[in-house]
Amino acid sequence: MGILDKNLSLRNRNKMLIGVWEDEDKLIEATDAMVHSGVHIHDIYTPYPVHGLDRIIGARRSRLARVAFLCGLTGFILMTTMIWYMYVLDWPVNVGNKPVRFTPSWIPVMFEGTVLCTAYGMGFFFFWRSRLLLGVKNDLLDERQTDDRMIMAIECNEGVNEADVLNIMKSNGAVECREMSHGVQTTI
Amino acid sequence: MIHDSLIRERLVTGDKTAADVTRDIARPILNQPTKAWKIGFTLSLIFLGIFGISLFYTLWTGIGVWNINKTVMWGWDITNFVFWVGIGHAGTLISAVLLLFRQKWRMSINRSAEAMTIFAVVCAAMFPVFHMGRVWVGYWALPLPNAFGSLWVNFNSPLLWDVFAISTYFSVSLLFWYIGLIPDIATIRDKVKTKTAKFWYGFFSMGWTGSTRTWARYELISLILAGLSTPLVLSVHTIVSTDFATSVVPGWHTTIFPPYFVAGAIFSGFGMVATLLVVARKVMNYENYITIGHLEAMTKIIMVTGSIVGIAYLTEFFIAWYSGNEYEQYAFSNRAFGPYWWAYWSMMSCNLLAPQVFWFKWARTTPWFIFTMSIVVNVGMWFERFVIIVTSLHRDYLPSSWVMYSGSLTEIGLFLGTFGIFFTCFFLFAKYMPVINMAEIKSILRNRE
Repeated sequence: MGILDKNLSLRNRNKMLIGVWEDEDKLIEATDAMVHSGVHIHDIYTPYPVHGLDRIIGARRSRLARVAFLCGLTGFILMTTMIWYMYVLDWPVNVGNKPVRFTPSWIPVMFEGTVLCTAYGMGFFFFWRSRLLLGVKNDLLDERQTDDRMIMAIECNEGVNEADVLNIMKSNGAVECREMSHGVQTTI
Repeated sequence: MIHDSLIRERLVTGDKTAADVTRDIARPILNQPTKAWKIGFTLSLIFLGIFGISLFYTLWTGIGVWNINKTVMWGWDITNFVFWVGIGHAGTLISAVLLLFRQKWRMSINRSAEAMTIFAVVCAAMFPVFHMGRVWVGYWALPLPNAFGSLWVNFNSPLLWDVFAISTYFSVSLLFWYIGLIPDIATIRDKVKTKTAKFWYGFFSMGWTGSTRTWARYELISLILAGLSTPLVLSVHTIVSTDFATSVVPGWHTTIFPPYFVAGAIFSGFGMVATLLVVARKVMNYENYITIGHLEAMTKIIMVTGSIVGIAYLTEFFIAWYSGNEYEQYAFSNRAFGPYWWAYWSMMSCNLLAPQVFWFKWARTTPWFIFTMSIVVNVGMWFERFVIIVTSLHRDYLPSSWVMYSGSLTEIGLFLGTFGIFFTCFFLFAKYMPVINMAEIKSILRNRE
């Protein structure tokens, strides 16, 4: 399972270059420069949402909205079927000799069921897709990335010119540059 | 194009940095509890004890220890249920609607409002559940196959809609609150020192790292959940109002109930949020985060929703007269001039007249006065539910069954006890979780547009 796969952990990567920023504007400029020079950014970690970063690094637009629709549809069908089975098929109740069929009084329960399935279906998809699981060990590059520092992580694969990467980081306001190999970080 | 706003007032004052935000907001969690917290928590526990005793007496002896009777079959219990559920509905509404309208000032109040929702719905649920009498068969309210023949629940009944609505609302609000908490739990995880604290905050932070891709999904799910929660809140309080409106009881059988109840919920919810936050900002030194501007914005909403509720009160009277229905006319004249006149005029004074004071800037910007007014609003909204329920029931179609009703000591104890549940939960929340959304506050420090 992806969430628990230790090979995906940042600590187990061969070599990574890490840049640390304090200012979101400089981080955006650095990210832009990095992408324009053809460097693939593994990820950027920030203590708060920095708008636009995901588009710059080329992250695909999330499919959460589509999942939400599908879960909502499932909830709607489930609730409609449930009421129909109980109220029409299994035990029709004679209310003033009215015909047993769909009535507006079904709508509240159908609506609530739809909302419940949408919210929880989407919630579980969000947790699964974001590799979030109760009790899972965190994969931090810096303890302050959840406080006041912004971290850019670049994996040193073939074709990555480390000198160029460091140069872009430093010339775009990185307050610190580090190299990490198998979980051990050294300041450059 | 993003730039620093030259016009808008800063939402966070004191030239705070991101590190300052973490330090200030996490201070109560990282430090030992203060004297004020200990006193407040002890008081809450005393009220919780009152709840425990009252509940034990109710369960041990039976519902007969309440003063409800054949005529007034809903008394303090359902009054308290609607009171708490109204407060509960406002929390998510504040959070969700203000998010949809891109109101950034919500960031200082949404966390407490959402917590308030969860705790208030728990308090609310106590009353209908224990009103059932035989609470151990409460699961009969659910559509489960059973051993008594092919009997299913009644989907035509608003009481059943309520079971679905309130449980859905509680579950979705819990998810909304928890997802919003995850980044902040991760921040606390990386700050706490003890092994136990590290374990628990680590457990609930779900391995959050603040990845850009996760933030993008987080913002999208927050937006969709807000979009879902808004009609959900409207539907839930509408359903609560139909518990009354679909009956053929003069004083209840009115089509104005759904919007009137929803406005009342926002009104009472903002009242409770103001009660909590005026105290929290002072005791926890959050004046730079919950500024006078935030309080002023809340008071404006209190005034508007109070006026909407007031118009609903007057419309009810007009329609009772205009309908030409003598039972309806009697029900309303009995409300204002019958034996419960004091409850009716308390409601009118607290909900319609008192909030009009917020037309004055001094009233909107003076914390102690806002606190006092928030208590007035809470009292007024409790009386509103008492008036709707008790004055409509105590004189029904048969004068021979007319009675007067007042809560028994046990009913009063249960009501006071729910404040114990609410504040015990709130004090624990304030000690172990950030009361203000740190991650969101950090994103507005630069006052960008």
